[in-house]
Amino acid sequence: MTGSIQHQVNVHSRLTVVSSNPTEPMGQIYALTPTDHTMSSHTVHIIYYYRTRPFSNEGRYAMDLDNVRVSLSELLSKYPRMIGRLVRDENGNWEVKYNDAGVRMFKANVATTVDEWLRVADESDERNLTVWEDMPDGDPTSWSPFQIQVSEFVGGGLAIGISFSHMLADPTSGVLFYKSWTDAERGDPTGRHPPIFTLPPLNNRPPPTSTENTPITVKYLQKHSKQPPISSPKMATYTFKFSNTVIKKGLSKIADKCPEATPFDYLTAVFWMQVIKLKTLVADSLTHSISLCVDARKHFDVPIPMKFFGNALTFSQLCLENEAIARDNGLAELVQSVHRHVNGIKKEDIDSMIDWLESLAKGLSGVYPKGVQMYGPELTFVSLEHLIMNPKDDSNDEFQSLVYEAKFRNNEKPMHVSYRIGKAEGAGLIIVAPVPEGGLARTVTVTLPAEEAVKLCEDPVIMGMAPTMVLSGRGME
Amino acid sequence: MPESLPDFSSPVRLKYVKLGYQYLVNHFLAFLLIPIIASVALHLFRLGPDTIVTTVKSIELDLVQILCSTFVIIFILTVYFMSKPRSVYLVDYTCYRPPITCRVPFSTFMEHSRMILKDNPKSVEFQMRILERSGLGEETSLPPAIHYIPPKPNMEAARGEAEMVIFSAIDNLFEKTGLKPKDIDVLIVNCSLFSPTPSLSAMVVNKYKLRSNIKSFNLSGMGCSAGIISIDLARDLLQVLPNSNALVISTEIITPNYYQGNERAMLLPNCLFRMGAAALLLSNKRRERSRAKYKLVHVVRTHKGSDDRAYRCVYEQEDPQGLVGINLSKDLMVIAAEALKSNITTMGPLVLPASEQLLFLFTLIGRKIFNPKWKPYIPDFKLAFEHFCIHAGGRAVIDELQKNLQLSPEHVEASRMTLHRFGNTSSSSLWYEMNYIESKGRMKKGDRVWQIAFGSGFKCNSAVWKCNRNINTPVDGPWSDCIDWYPVHIPEVVKL
Repeated sequence: MTGSIQHQVNVHSRLTVVSSNPTEPMGQIYALTPTDHTMSSHTVHIIYYYRTRPFSNEGRYAMDLDNVRVSLSELLSKYPRMIGRLVRDENGNWEVKYNDAGVRMFKANVATTVDEWLRVADESDERNLTVWEDMPDGDPTSWSPFQIQVSEFVGGGLAIGISFSHMLADPTSGVLFYKSWTDAERGDPTGRHPPIFTLPPLNNRPPPTSTENTPITVKYLQKHSKQPPISSPKMATYTFKFSNTVIKKGLSKIADKCPEATPFDYLTAVFWMQVIKLKTLVADSLTHSISLCVDARKHFDVPIPMKFFGNALTFSQLCLENEAIARDNGLAELVQSVHRHVNGIKKEDIDSMIDWLESLAKGLSGVYPKGVQMYGPELTFVSLEHLIMNPKDDSNDEFQSLVYEAKFRNNEKPMHVSYRIGKAEGAGLIIVAPVPEGGLARTVTVTLPAEEAVKLCEDPVIMGMAPTMVLSGRGME
Repeated sequence: MPESLPDFSSPVRLKYVKLGYQYLVNHFLAFLLIPIIASVALHLFRLGPDTIVTTVKSIELDLVQILCSTFVIIFILTVYFMSKPRSVYLVDYTCYRPPITCRVPFSTFMEHSRMILKDNPKSVEFQMRILERSGLGEETSLPPAIHYIPPKPNMEAARGEAEMVIFSAIDNLFEKTGLKPKDIDVLIVNCSLFSPTPSLSAMVVNKYKLRSNIKSFNLSGMGCSAGIISIDLARDLLQVLPNSNALVISTEIITPNYYQGNERAMLLPNCLFRMGAAALLLSNKRRERSRAKYKLVHVVRTHKGSDDRAYRCVYEQEDPQGLVGINLSKDLMVIAAEALKSNITTMGPLVLPASEQLLFLFTLIGRKIFNPKWKPYIPDFKLAFEHFCIHAGGRAVIDELQKNLQLSPEHVEASRMTLHRFGNTSSSSLWYEMNYIESKGRMKKGDRVWQIAFGSGFKCNSAVWKCNRNINTPVDGPWSDCIDWYPVHIPEVVKL
């Protein structure tokens, strides 16, 4: 079933979208931070699916000159980092040159309808909807770090996929940029606050605490930067959509132990427990650990943290004893530990992480450490809870997410949004993301070694939560 | 008096001598007649009124003589008015401003070049050097089909570009002048390199539902100077057609002519030619006289095609791979200078004040008879014109003309800034330059403008316009959003 639609995405054009105004001043070079360098082995891919095209089909240059591209060009003037190019300095470290070269755009046709695609396509098909192009021979001069693919489905559906190197931005930046684009196209004024690309220097900080209390973020880096690259088994990805009621039920069950648990905490705990059982190698060990990736924007010292465009992630490790999990109310325990851990990440941890990386670089005579495998060597959970905004008025219980408010002029929400992280190999990656309907419902995208992934799909606990499978290549479920 | 360059080499006294000489020669008739009239008037006063009356009464005229003289006078006046050429006015014009999505920054152009010509790094290097010294800015535009990698120059895209630029310009013109499609009597479209069937003029007739007895013309293959050829044609037609309007469209469609090979001489146009169009409304109607912007005074066309070198100077041909492009020969500047000299020789007597013509004549006689080593006198055209619009063919062209005509930087500012902002838009560039001068508020009633265009063939064509009314800023046009940033300093070499 899956093989038949693999060849159905036809990428027919490649062009460059430029900004509306030239970058001023032209040609300035900005160094990338050590944090950026550690992320350099990964790429980010986000795909937005729409049921109807947000632009008209008439006229000879409908796609070329209609408002969708005009608003994109105007927005790109505010993001000179996106239209610049990567260069290396004399130490071999990466920098961005604001040379106004534009972003690459690809256009594709898909031979099926968007509904059919979401039902039947799997992860390898979805790869065709964004650009997975590596830097040619390591030469960055003509390579666009940001790429957008617009794929048109039969019957009027559309998928817009943005992909970029993780060195320049994290998934949240991509989401926020995309939202600005749709807002601009709709005519909403988003231009009041321009994006922030660099953080204020961390000069007036209290000296780092003693080394006994190495922050969790630094510990994570210390461990992973020493690891050799992993040759991992083939990975498979499945996406589970859990409804509002199921999550609510689950949260109420553990409410006495952890009343403020978020859906992320809950789902992390559930999946962690089930994956432990699947992983034959570690099922019997005494401690289990996972990596947690949480957004760090709220800790930044800038006027509007959400306008920061770049890498703002914290990675940390959470360890638990086996016995704690094996107990009767193990799930509630897990939820509580995850919740405590996520909320326990402090500003000092982030600052120390940056400090540590800088000192490491100084030790290597100015060369920043190469990119490490940040996602995946250990089972990694990525939280996108920060993208869910509280409603302005408390009239209803629905939380709307920034992700799904990305509506073009025709005011249509995306049907689905997929997230993929390139080169997230090893134990696995689980991303917990919002759903179009809002509220407590979540989409969980699971990337595991192929065998474990298949087993997970048949896991009774997970299936007991009645998930809808999206883009998992499954038939009529 | 227009400002002349301070002449530091000769003493100040010589300048005043020159000024005095000019006044004397240019107003020679006045200097001659005023004393004569004064002396006659004085003489009459001395005679006294009675003598005048008796002298007049003594002239015996009978009715026949009076009638005959009256008829003769009327006849002469009629012949004079009938044989006077009709004045042709430029009511208004519009220039096309491309959308922001068509902008081509230098780095994007070079990236595309590197990707398309990846097997020819030398050609890429060549293009970069050309672009660095071209005098173009970061805001020039190429049509949508050329933004693809590789470019997609099919016929549909070419027609699309033509529709986009021509229809936008015409719509703007209709809005500005209140012209109705049914009032267009003559339609001339000039586009050198794209000539589909049905023609672009037929495309315009179709879109705007023009009259079936319209006189439409489509000029193709005539190069960058075709704009002035179209104006010349319109003028000739308006001599024959009384009370008529002529719509002239000058453009160059880039899409089908983007060279995709790697011959260096043929890659040059890719770096310079950009998207643009202009639409003009010319009229000989009496009622347009009051609101027309300019009056067409002269058109001088010079064709050097009889010379083989000039003929082959800009030559469209296939490269060894069979790809079609335009080959620009290395002695383009030399040929351009010669063509300009030819054109000036014809233009000079038409526009120069008598003082300059006399000086030129004397120097010419002197060189022939007395001493061939005398420097040829280059007439000072700044006395004849207030503004100059030099076709923005490239930086070298503007530099050459500035040198040959001894123009100041302010005179060539319009050309240089148009090259920077819009690139070489071929036949329409003269109108972007005109609009620049207007947008800067420099165009006053009575100002004379000289438009010079060069084109393949090799041709040098000029048009002389006289400003008919004061033009107030702000001027609505392609410069309206950016005129305040100009003039900009254009470095000799932009570091890419």
